[in-house]
Amino acid sequence: MKAFSYVDARSEKDALASLGTERNRILAIGGGMDLLGLMKDYIVTPERLVNVKTLDATIARTPDGGMRIGSAVKLIDIVEHAGMGQMYPALVELADQIGTPQIRHAGTVGGNLNQRPRCWYFRNEEFHCLKKGGATCFSVNGENQFHAIFGDGPCHIVHPSSLAVACVAYGATFRIAGPSGVRDVDAGQYFQMPDHNLYGENVLQPNELLTHVTLPAPGQVKSASYEVRFKQAHDWPLAFASVVLAMQGDTIHSARVVMGAVAPVPWRSHEAEQALAGRTISEETADRAGQAAVRPAKPMSGNAYKMRVARTAVARAILKAGGLKTA
Amino acid sequence: MADERGQVPEAAAPAVAQGEAHFAWPAHPTYIGKDIRRLDGPEKVSGRAKYAYDIQRPGMLYGRIVRSPHPRARIVSIDLAAARSAPGVKAALAWVEPNTVVMFQGEEVAAVAAATEAQAGDAARLVKVEYEVLQPLTNTAQAMSPDAPKVFDGGNVREGAAEETGDLAAGFKAAAHLVEAVYSTQVQTHVCLETHGCVCEWEGDKLTAWVSTQAVHGTREGFAQALKIPQANVRVITQYMGGGFGSKFAPDAQGLICAKLAQAARAPVHLLLDRKEEHLATGNRPSAHAKIRAGVSADGMLTAFDGQTWGTGGAGVGAGFPLPYIYQFPNRRRRHSDVYINAGGARAMRAPGHPQGCFITEILMDELADKAGLDPLEFRMKNLPPDAPDARWREYFPIAAKQFGWSRRHPTGDPTPGPIKTGVGCSANRWGGGGRGSHAHCEILPDGGVIMRCGTQDIGTGTRTLVSIVTAETLGLPIAAIRTEIGDSLYPFSGGSGGSTTAASVTPAIRVTAVKALDALKEHVAPTLGVAAADLVAEEGRLFARNAPSKGLTWKEACRLLGTEPVSVDGQWQPGLSASGTTGVQMAEVQVDTETGVTKVTRVVCVQDCGLIMDRLTAESQVIGGIIFGMDFALFEDRILDRNTGQMVNPNMEWYLLAGMSDIPRIEATLVDQPERGVIGLGEPPAVATAAAIGNAIANAIGVRLRSLPMTPARVLAALEQERAGGTR
Repeated sequence: MKAFSYVDARSEKDALASLGTERNRILAIGGGMDLLGLMKDYIVTPERLVNVKTLDATIARTPDGGMRIGSAVKLIDIVEHAGMGQMYPALVELADQIGTPQIRHAGTVGGNLNQRPRCWYFRNEEFHCLKKGGATCFSVNGENQFHAIFGDGPCHIVHPSSLAVACVAYGATFRIAGPSGVRDVDAGQYFQMPDHNLYGENVLQPNELLTHVTLPAPGQVKSASYEVRFKQAHDWPLAFASVVLAMQGDTIHSARVVMGAVAPVPWRSHEAEQALAGRTISEETADRAGQAAVRPAKPMSGNAYKMRVARTAVARAILKAGGLKTA
Repeated sequence: MADERGQVPEAAAPAVAQGEAHFAWPAHPTYIGKDIRRLDGPEKVSGRAKYAYDIQRPGMLYGRIVRSPHPRARIVSIDLAAARSAPGVKAALAWVEPNTVVMFQGEEVAAVAAATEAQAGDAARLVKVEYEVLQPLTNTAQAMSPDAPKVFDGGNVREGAAEETGDLAAGFKAAAHLVEAVYSTQVQTHVCLETHGCVCEWEGDKLTAWVSTQAVHGTREGFAQALKIPQANVRVITQYMGGGFGSKFAPDAQGLICAKLAQAARAPVHLLLDRKEEHLATGNRPSAHAKIRAGVSADGMLTAFDGQTWGTGGAGVGAGFPLPYIYQFPNRRRRHSDVYINAGGARAMRAPGHPQGCFITEILMDELADKAGLDPLEFRMKNLPPDAPDARWREYFPIAAKQFGWSRRHPTGDPTPGPIKTGVGCSANRWGGGGRGSHAHCEILPDGGVIMRCGTQDIGTGTRTLVSIVTAETLGLPIAAIRTEIGDSLYPFSGGSGGSTTAASVTPAIRVTAVKALDALKEHVAPTLGVAAADLVAEEGRLFARNAPSKGLTWKEACRLLGTEPVSVDGQWQPGLSASGTTGVQMAEVQVDTETGVTKVTRVVCVQDCGLIMDRLTAESQVIGGIIFGMDFALFEDRILDRNTGQMVNPNMEWYLLAGMSDIPRIEATLVDQPERGVIGLGEPPAVATAAAIGNAIANAIGVRLRSLPMTPARVLAALEQERAGGTR
């Protein structure tokens, strides 16, 4: 690991003043669950780290009945929070399955949302890949069994954050603080495809911080997430889905269906949402939505199987949201 | 122990023990065969046990190796200047000469030593190596193709001699059903939790090395030969180690580099590898591929086997494995080729060759059983070799079947509706084991203390505990009264811990030595008691006349009679206390989610023998560990090389998957005690059969056969998809 200087930011203002405009030269560090690995592997070699664990680490109710989560909140605090599980099960279920107990106790919400991709070409120094300024996405003709089945490249990572998927499904708002003030960005707009942003995965600029995630009041929804992992724990999901179903009686009025580990961003499926609107929750509805969700997929040479996995995740998330048996 | 190819041969020893009565194992033991807890457990779990990684020496530096990022490249130049002048650097060396062609990613090129680990890491990156990158062979198919670059002297493919028995044509003529299929197993790395490496310290021309090794004596010899110094000048110490599985028999390049750095820097050097280096450069299990045609008669008897096999052990290392495994094909032919590619070389790995041969044969057996319309277990019983002391599958399969509930097996394909399918599978294993060659030294001190020394090493299996058990048993003392000293090449010679030979080598040596020491004590005590030495027995902390137990002394009183001169005797392994050849069977149950391809192993039942059981608890632990090892081979582990560059994409424990606690099934280990055979050994056998049993269970669950390991969701779903599209059978 390259030597670096360390700033212990005492406030948001302090932290912002310590950041800079050049990508990867000065980086914010929360729990360090992702960043330290990147540094040990020399994927990033920042000159300065700014500790942002000192930023807001509270979960608070908003006036309109939602929740505002400071980005320094630990993942375990979401899991153990008294109200969150009831209000946002799709989010809390995901938080509870991230990494290991150690990671959940040290990792933060901000860190989870802003972590870099786990693509093995990106993470191994030998491969000077597109995302690192090279000319090739090695996954295209290489080992792509864990890569994206949606999107047109040119980089084929899958977004690594599971919280991101639930945030998009619930329609969360991200508060971004920067040198020129504060802006709110819809979670769905926060994450960016590689054709828009090859060297990063979201709209956050090097001199900005993600400070809060605000979840709207849940209202009359049924929601759930379903993850498919090969290993039972401490493994990245092969594919997963969060669904938020706005109900009118027994009928789904409208739905948000977002898949994870299938695209460079949390992948919202309007096709699946349309398949659900106006229907009641049943195995047939769920399966139809699952099929619709993956119909537009464009798998690579070695990851077509992920279509089946993602379809299953969508269908089972719907069944789970409806309180039905998933398998 | 390991030959120059890194392979540990199976021991060839008698299957039944017949030894000198004086040293025979006790008929009614106090400790042997009981559940004895590992003596060093508390030290390990509390962090007090010092592994090579934990050794700290005054003025110690940290070493770091510069490795080739290219699987094949010519070294044009190595420039150490910038590294030499980096902060904290005390030594830098080039490990290879310019013009050398490196043959695998991770091959050692240069090294540095610096005051801190971080400084060494930074300095290593300042070593400027200019490479002329050459086209690598990245997989067996490419290496075998006629237009592949000729990379290895003598060819990329080395064809072995064909083995042929019986009349193949007649065998196929007698077949009512045929199976023709291709099977494969992947390259698996050892993933020792403690990585390879050592701490080296010179005192003048004498080297002390704290090494994570399976062979303190073999590693002493390795250092001496490579460094051209007398073996007497080398001391190798391994008090604790975190796994070897066959990959840690020698100093290796990193050990020699560490010694050279320590010499150059005139300071002790700590050089232990990181996880990536461990995957790339410290060995692996070769892959195996088999194209097979086999026949079975209408009444379910095997008639013929014709197999073409190949595999890669990486750069210049062979990939042999036994095939067919265990079952008897009267007419058979096998042709095998070793294929070389530009990847880290294979080393011995827990039952070298056997898991591959077992998987391929046992999957084939289930396919043949299906063709013949027989239950797989019934089919196996018909085709097993005849019973022998080291061939008891006919006895163990029914025991396992009863415990497992095999009779509830459904035919291939779980008819239960819904996506979750359950299935069961079985398989068998064999291994040699057996012992030889160990020496020991015992002292009985005038204050009653007992020291037993043996230059073996405890690679995590409980050898330290076994030495204490046998000594305490023999001297009639509590286990805690024995001071056991192992893991040092200054102690009497004992071989490497490989081939499941440690228990069968060490425990007889300890038994003989302890009996001799006791004999010497008895000679001292006999005149005082007025009893012939031969009539004395040592039990429960006393030495007394066999026929008049009140005529005796406490152990301490007896030892006090020694005056100032301790009993000090040497002993060594003798035939008759150990044997060779083990038998085991396993049955596995799995649940497969046919909508995600995810397999969960829910239960494994195992019946395994290992001769005379020394410590039932550590023996069971070996079996449980072996089954987990086999399950990882079945489902998770896979060294994945980029097909274009040959570089490993998963040199970590993130994408190189290993089971976690929640992935581990219920494991029921039934150990068959065979006191009449003496000690045999158990490290290898339980790891052999698990993958095959799981593979057969998956086919039984989903009704489609997978013939390649690991059985990932991608492979399960692809097989189901192919079945829907027109069938694989």
